[in-house]
Amino acid sequence: MMKSDQILNAKGLSCPMPVVRTKKAIDQLEKGQILELHTTDAGALNDIPAWAKTSGHVILDSREENGTYIFMIQKG
Amino acid sequence: MSKKVAMIASNGGLFDAYKVFNIATAAAASDAEVTIFFTFEGLNLIHRQAHQALEVPAGKEHFTEGFKKVNAPSIPELLSMAQELNVKMIACQMTMDVMSLKKEDFVDGVDIGGAATFLAYAQDADVTITF
Repeated sequence: MMKSDQILNAKGLSCPMPVVRTKKAIDQLEKGQILELHTTDAGALNDIPAWAKTSGHVILDSREENGTYIFMIQKG
Repeated sequence: MSKKVAMIASNGGLFDAYKVFNIATAAAASDAEVTIFFTFEGLNLIHRQAHQALEVPAGKEHFTEGFKKVNAPSIPELLSMAQELNVKMIACQMTMDVMSLKKEDFVDGVDIGGAATFLAYAQDADVTITF
């Protein structure tokens, strides 16, 4: 199981909040550290990978658990 | 180098506000440099009082419930988030004069400029969006 350096709970938030909160959270991390994002926004399925690509971060893993999407994002 | 996004906001309703500020905050959160040029009714979106009192258009009341259901942020929240993410906002001088608006009528941090100011920024923008 991959270990994250920080967990961000963005459940119940809609676009663009998951992206905005994720950006703010990742700004607090060091390069190479891992942010674990929890969101219920179905749009985030495409939005978070798109955001990571534009911002130079890497999605190490993503999965769904009971309607919650979990992304492991490594800061680039 | 970060991408440049140039936006024009020329309409002043609640839906327009969501379109403009959602794209602007998402772009800024993706590390883009964002400038919005507010003109004509778009000035509503940065007006100190008006931006806090935007309403769902008549006949579209069912949207109110939808906004609540998805827990959409309010327009004042989105506006301050955009400013926090360094989105630059320019109010169109000419429309301000037409509508008798002054710099003090707008939220803090808004710049005043004309068409040339926006064009100088937009001419090498990577993305241009008009609402």
